[in-house]
Amino acid sequence: MPAGENGPGLDENGPGPAIPCVDPLGDPYLRTRFAPPAKPATFLRRERLVRHLDQALLTPLTMVNGAAGAGKTLLVADWAAGLEQPVAWLTTDAADQGPGMFWAYVLQALRASGVLVPGGVGCPADARSVDRKLLARLAAELSGHDRPAIVVLDEYDRVTAPEIAEQLEFVLHHAGHGMRLVLVTRTEPLLPLHRYRAAGDMTEIRGAELAFTPEEAAALLERHGLCLPVRAARALVDRTQGWAAGLRLCALAAQESPDPETYLKEFEAGRSTVADYLLAEVLKRQTVETQDLLLRASVLERFCPDLANALTERTDAEALLAELHRENAFVEDLGHAWYRLHPLFREILRAHLRVRSPGLEPELHRRAAQWLRRSGSLPETLAHGAAAGDWDFTAGALVDDLAIGQLFTGLRSDDLAELFSRMGPEATSPASDLVRAARDLFRCDLDGGLAHLHRAERRLSTDLPDLAAAQLSCALLEALAARLAGSPVRAEEAAAAAEELRREIPAHLLDKHPELTALLLTHLGSTRLWAGRFEEARAALSTVIGSSRGGATALPREEALGHLALIDYLNGWLARAERKALAALTETERFSLPQPSGSGIERLVLAAVAVDRNELGQAKALLDEAAASRPALRDPVPEACRSIATARLLLARGDVQAARAAAGPAVSADVPSPWADAHAALVACAAHLGDGRPDMAAKVLRQMPDDPPACAVEVARAQLAAGDRVAAIDRIDSLRTDGRTGPAVAVRAALVRAQAADGAGDFATARRLVAHALLEARRERLRRPFLEAGPWIRPLLGTAPLQGLTEGWLTPGPPRHGEPPGPEARPSSLVVEELSGRERDVLQRLAQMMSTEEIAADLFVSANTVKTHLKSVYRKLAVNRRNDAVRRARELGLL
Amino acid sequence: MRYEIRVDGHMSETLAKAFPELDHVVMSGQTVLFGPVVDEAHLYGLLARCRSLGLRVVEMRQLPE
Repeated sequence: MPAGENGPGLDENGPGPAIPCVDPLGDPYLRTRFAPPAKPATFLRRERLVRHLDQALLTPLTMVNGAAGAGKTLLVADWAAGLEQPVAWLTTDAADQGPGMFWAYVLQALRASGVLVPGGVGCPADARSVDRKLLARLAAELSGHDRPAIVVLDEYDRVTAPEIAEQLEFVLHHAGHGMRLVLVTRTEPLLPLHRYRAAGDMTEIRGAELAFTPEEAAALLERHGLCLPVRAARALVDRTQGWAAGLRLCALAAQESPDPETYLKEFEAGRSTVADYLLAEVLKRQTVETQDLLLRASVLERFCPDLANALTERTDAEALLAELHRENAFVEDLGHAWYRLHPLFREILRAHLRVRSPGLEPELHRRAAQWLRRSGSLPETLAHGAAAGDWDFTAGALVDDLAIGQLFTGLRSDDLAELFSRMGPEATSPASDLVRAARDLFRCDLDGGLAHLHRAERRLSTDLPDLAAAQLSCALLEALAARLAGSPVRAEEAAAAAEELRREIPAHLLDKHPELTALLLTHLGSTRLWAGRFEEARAALSTVIGSSRGGATALPREEALGHLALIDYLNGWLARAERKALAALTETERFSLPQPSGSGIERLVLAAVAVDRNELGQAKALLDEAAASRPALRDPVPEACRSIATARLLLARGDVQAARAAAGPAVSADVPSPWADAHAALVACAAHLGDGRPDMAAKVLRQMPDDPPACAVEVARAQLAAGDRVAAIDRIDSLRTDGRTGPAVAVRAALVRAQAADGAGDFATARRLVAHALLEARRERLRRPFLEAGPWIRPLLGTAPLQGLTEGWLTPGPPRHGEPPGPEARPSSLVVEELSGRERDVLQRLAQMMSTEEIAADLFVSANTVKTHLKSVYRKLAVNRRNDAVRRARELGLL
Repeated sequence: MRYEIRVDGHMSETLAKAFPELDHVVMSGQTVLFGPVVDEAHLYGLLARCRSLGLRVVEMRQLPE
């Protein structure tokens, strides 16, 4: 059976996302986890259990549940081997701390068993979480298959996260006949088993059924060359309670003794704990080399002969392991020359190891870590390095692998942070300082981060020559520090240094960790944007978006899209900004990145766009959402964006004082930002104008630069409002519109000219200009400029033909034939907000009495997204409850 | 909190060392592990440890302080 290659070749319809061949941490999948253990020669097939297991093909859920060593795994493996179709086998791992990793492995197990899972289903990018939409896509995909996929999860008791149980149940339920789930576990899983039982949807094999009968016990002993009358077997079953591991050990110990019969009698009469006593018996009869191998291997989850040799410092592991697997059940063969100890024996052996060689464990972990580092399995290397307490080594492994970016990308950044949180001050290598710096910068502790970073850099310049990976890691952290400090110069230096260093680093490492370069360029783009160098920023950020589209780079891509959205917004392209910001949100949803992962800039851009459209409730909701998600990064650019959106929202609501308070700089930066300053000054002017101090406002405005154009037109409008007509027109005339500025700039410019014309009594020109502005603004739903324009524009908008241009987006349309005008058509409300397409979708399903969860599953979005849509539907329809929303929508003819 | 956990059979000294935080005493076909338990998490951890070592828990109770 195929084990963990990248599945069968897939003919995808259309360009779907590529199927990842690495797990969410960017590491190759551990093939051994997709392999059911091969049965040893002494395995006894018990037909009654196999027949019962055949029911598993008919029920959605099967649970095989019993004590350690009850023979669960071998029973299911043997049954699966006898089926006509391949089975997706996954041995769960305690190290998979998160649902993301769990589901990534489940998807890979399905593909490894030949189940067609198109790339479009997606793949979790973050080890810690998985997106509900991905699970819905998987369930939908499986339910469409004509043959159910059989999924076996072995050692399911190691899955402790309640959300994984809940997600499994979701997929199982929605996959219908497309999935058969077999859980092999020591403990009762957190699934609503009573429901499955009541509906007859579950096959259950529990401890009592797994216990050996006297006849089976006799047959098992016969396999070990021991002939026992059934009466004696009965006594043995009484003593061991039919426990498979006990009987097997018993057979092994008896096999080795000169007089098996007597030995068994003594054991029956003894009162020792079964496994403990028998394992010691069996162990002491092995050769010294075999004992040593078994004891030392007990620190490993799984091992190959070479790794075992590294622990024993001998060279005989291959032969010993093959023999152990052949002769008894200590060692399970996972194929591809990988083995593992039986979980029960492994635990007992570890207890023996601690007694026999106290203090040897850390040394064994260190050797395992060193071997794994050479063989290239980073997570296992780090886990063993940490278990050995060798932090210099562990940090060095992370840095040399160029994996320091993983501390930031949401891919297991929590696990890594947790792992390194145990690192004490005794670790002094440059690598450990780099890890500390990364940790501090991730928490936005700039001073602490820089202190560690500079110490590492000083040490690196005097240290060994083979430093490129560490220096490149330094460059990344320098760029991040520069971004947090708003220092474009330092970011450029770091990027230039990184460019030099990349040549010295093997290509395969760079390819393995695309997140490092992507993160660095994102930081660079962010500082360029801060400094107002939009085009250069766009160049760096576009490179990030063009980078490889795996989960590893999902976070930098999200950030880059969010920053590009901000550039579009600042240039006056609302719809473009909105598209990019939504794409940024989708990017992280597709890879199930945790919210908040980056700076959350895209929500802030969406809020700013919503203010310009006068969708104030929506803007408020987005700002609240962005504030509630407490972004991981608080750097100048998003903070400035937050100030702009917040201050403009407050201005739109007429709260001038609060707007002025919100417009101040939120984060200190090394260099000023032209656009951030300009926006703050505009809010200050609005406050002056609102307080009736036009002369103060005019004074401030005269000193304002003409860049960026989006600000310049607003300055001109404020100058006009302050009575400085000449200055305003001059400013508009000198505006550089080089094709980069969008409709928001053109509309505002046209309105300034129109207002000036109107003031001069040239009504025809004013009308022409307003018409032009309306045409430009209608596509973008850009409403604020008209609402801010002042009283002069009202009469104009009320006359034909301009009235026709405003209907339906700026003013309510004419009432439908034969209906009374609805309350939203009250002339006082200038604006009615249309429902977006998604909001209509939700509303239609609401009318079909679907629950939030059902709507979410139906639309392949998260429940939170549905709630957000619902909120804005309620707001737009001016209702507070579901029933009212449906009734109101019917009144308005929306359904 | 102090607890005692009774397991079936006589545990070896070696295996008893897998519970370094507890004392143990062997009696009439059972082994009693007893000692301070920090909290619930610790308690369930002890049960899981018994299970992974193939020990059968017969009784578990909190001791009066």
